[in-house]
Amino acid sequence: MTKTFTPARPIWCAGCGDFGVLQALVNALDELNVPAHKRMVIAGIGCSGSLQNNLSCYGYHALHGRVMPTATGAKLANPELTVIGVGGDGDGYAIGGGHLMHSFKRNPGVTYIVMNNGTYGLTKGQPSPTSPNGYGLNIEEDLDPIMLGLSIPGSTFLARAYSGNPAQLLELTTAALQHTAAGHGMSYLEVLSPCVTYNDTYREWRSSVYDCDTEAGYDPTNRAAAFVRMSELREEGRLPLGLIFRGERAALENAALNHDFTAPALQDVAHLPLADTYGDALQSFMR
Amino acid sequence: MSQTKLRLTDLNVIVSGQGGDGSLTVINILADVLRTSGLRIYTERDVLSRIKGGITAATLRAYDGERLCIGSHIDLLVAFDLLAVNKHAYRLNDRSVVIYDNSGGELSEDCGVPAGARRIGVPLSRHAVKNFRRDIYKNSISFAVIGRLLGLDDEQMHHSFEKRFARRGAQQLKYNLAALDVGLKLSEEAGLTADAGLYDIVSSDAHPSMQITGNEAVAFGFLVGGGRFFAGYPITPSTDVMEWLDKWLPKYGGVVRQAEDELSAINMAIGAALTGTRTMIATCGPGLSLMQEGIGQLGMGEIPLVVVDAQRGGPSTGMPTKPEQSDINLLVYGGHGDFPRAVLAPGNPQECFELTVAACNIADKYQLPVFMALDQGLSQNLASIDPVALDDVVIDRGKRLDADALAEADVYKRYAFEDDGVSAFAAPGTPGGMSLVTGNEHDEFGLVSTDPTNRVRMLDKRQRKMITMRDDLPRAVHHGIDTADIGFIGVGMCYGVILEAMDILTGQGVHTQYHQMRTLFPMLEETAAFTRRCKSVYVVEYNATAQLAKLIIAQGGDESRINSFLKYDGTPMSADEIVAHVLNAEGIKEVDVA
Repeated sequence: MTKTFTPARPIWCAGCGDFGVLQALVNALDELNVPAHKRMVIAGIGCSGSLQNNLSCYGYHALHGRVMPTATGAKLANPELTVIGVGGDGDGYAIGGGHLMHSFKRNPGVTYIVMNNGTYGLTKGQPSPTSPNGYGLNIEEDLDPIMLGLSIPGSTFLARAYSGNPAQLLELTTAALQHTAAGHGMSYLEVLSPCVTYNDTYREWRSSVYDCDTEAGYDPTNRAAAFVRMSELREEGRLPLGLIFRGERAALENAALNHDFTAPALQDVAHLPLADTYGDALQSFMR
Repeated sequence: MSQTKLRLTDLNVIVSGQGGDGSLTVINILADVLRTSGLRIYTERDVLSRIKGGITAATLRAYDGERLCIGSHIDLLVAFDLLAVNKHAYRLNDRSVVIYDNSGGELSEDCGVPAGARRIGVPLSRHAVKNFRRDIYKNSISFAVIGRLLGLDDEQMHHSFEKRFARRGAQQLKYNLAALDVGLKLSEEAGLTADAGLYDIVSSDAHPSMQITGNEAVAFGFLVGGGRFFAGYPITPSTDVMEWLDKWLPKYGGVVRQAEDELSAINMAIGAALTGTRTMIATCGPGLSLMQEGIGQLGMGEIPLVVVDAQRGGPSTGMPTKPEQSDINLLVYGGHGDFPRAVLAPGNPQECFELTVAACNIADKYQLPVFMALDQGLSQNLASIDPVALDDVVIDRGKRLDADALAEADVYKRYAFEDDGVSAFAAPGTPGGMSLVTGNEHDEFGLVSTDPTNRVRMLDKRQRKMITMRDDLPRAVHHGIDTADIGFIGVGMCYGVILEAMDILTGQGVHTQYHQMRTLFPMLEETAAFTRRCKSVYVVEYNATAQLAKLIIAQGGDESRINSFLKYDGTPMSADEIVAHVLNAEGIKEVDVA
């Protein structure tokens, strides 16, 4: 067998929530039998943006904030790949925040896992979009990306896990990958993943998380009811976990690709009979 | 009248009015008719950054041969608005003709039209409203006057209208044909009888030619060159690239995505390129500024991408619909850090096609960004060219490893140190090729590294491509007499104007040569050598700070022989301006050859 890169040991601090995310992702991929060469892991900038180095895959370290556009391009070019975006809250909600709503709207076949620690760990603790008002010098309200996702009609899979609850994290990671593999498009999974160094929220989050998966009568297919419930729980100071919303809609690549052809990345464009192949296009200029 | 009529060999026409007056339609129909008489056509649009209103113009040159610029003088100005006369009067001479709408009054004393120019006032708008209750029909009425003046026969005109308006439905065709007849009656009244035309224009089975803009030729070249993914964000004057591909690429199994902004566009493109798909983006100055971080990522991550820049008036929002060549510094030096790249500069639609194919090959072979430096003029002006030879296209995807090749290798390193600076690529999805691509400095496997020895080796490896790719970079085309003392250098839209200026200078007994460079960066030694070969080299460029001349000097060009001709007012460059500049600088008195 060809020797390729040896996955590096994570650079994270002992106790970092991201360890749980890596473990859940590796286990879910194995459980679903996704071979290493079919995995394309596209990572953002920040502590969480090194996750692709720690498992066997085709990994790409994207520009800060551009995980979803990059992942979307990769998936459209080769839909046979299992494309997974990973990054943090600063990457996905601040510098890349603009792309998040367009990604929900587009619904590409990408699983996007955001490790939310409510701070900029790598740059030593500045407030992030999900830092609460009063964190450090932050005087802004925090953003709830699940509610943002619910407000965009194109979204199809919105879930939140907590790295302190590995069983549910694995379950939701698997469900997210399955949603996308089934052709339903983007699966968005936010993982509450504490930064033990700059925002150690384990104790606080342990008491404030709330599991919607076990709530009697919670219906994850009802967008409006889910939005109401998220608002209520927020008012109560709770952090909702579980599969918050699941919708039915075909993935972007379903409409964006011409299915009479193999995918763009898999076409042998170098050996086509050119005059025959492109004669029509040439003729269109003969006016 | 039975005088012998002239054979039409060169005609420059401007049709101008308020935006929405239909100037372009008139030019397009005229182009169609003149093309059937064997002439080559070049058209230019002068529009504003608004949907309707303002003075806009469409310009046409019909020439007996290839000519990729508008002539220095306009033979016929058709004005739907008196302000349009004022705007274009400076381009007329005593032999020009002005057809203008006098519905709202006559031309004023100070309208600027030369005394000798013939003026034909016709109440176009008044008759359009009177007959059709719609002002817009004035353009079809005007066509009859133009046709009678030039010498088109009435049947030719009717036929061209049928060709143009049939696809808009029977009603449209009927009204426009009626408008043409109104125009023919008005022409008679103005003394333009059926046999009074200036030229003898006979339709013939003309040699077939392509009618294509630079943007379209780039898009077509990308398709034929094997391009299968394009991402963009609408921005004038590059948008036509996306629009053409949106129509054609999916027919060949390709994908076109309009992104939410340029940051997303370049990163979507990077995502597609990472999978081994031939990918291109197109933008202009403001978009290219936003994309700079992505450009550096291509260099560091060794990701192939073709980036088209249809340069427009800058800086900032600048003059979105006007030409400029002021992104040269950004194309050559843009982005932080040191990384290799290539910048190619086509001069005509034919080269837009060929160089885009070359750009795709260079990008794949050397795994780096390759820029196509166009400008608004080259991008959007429509030219007649000989059909491109599809079978001449060669596609080279560079060093790629498939599953079999990987199975035979002991180890796969995405960034393996190689003498030519290029490490073999295994596309995601290929068993055994798992690898890491990153914008961080990295080791051969793609794992992040700040080791100083590795850093130097890795950076040097990437920079070596600047040398190894030289053999694949498009060479300059030489025009003129290679012993001439006076040389020209210029790219993009300046190409056609320089060739015309050379013709005029030859007529004055002044011999010149033209080094039409097609690679701006890394600049080939041939360019510096050319500056040493001539006594004086005129670098013609459309910007204020001589970006191209400075680049040539920085690459070894002889500064003492370089003389810049610069223009940056947003109007088309004319050959006369260049001729006057050269004669003045050379101390040669102009000979009146008229």
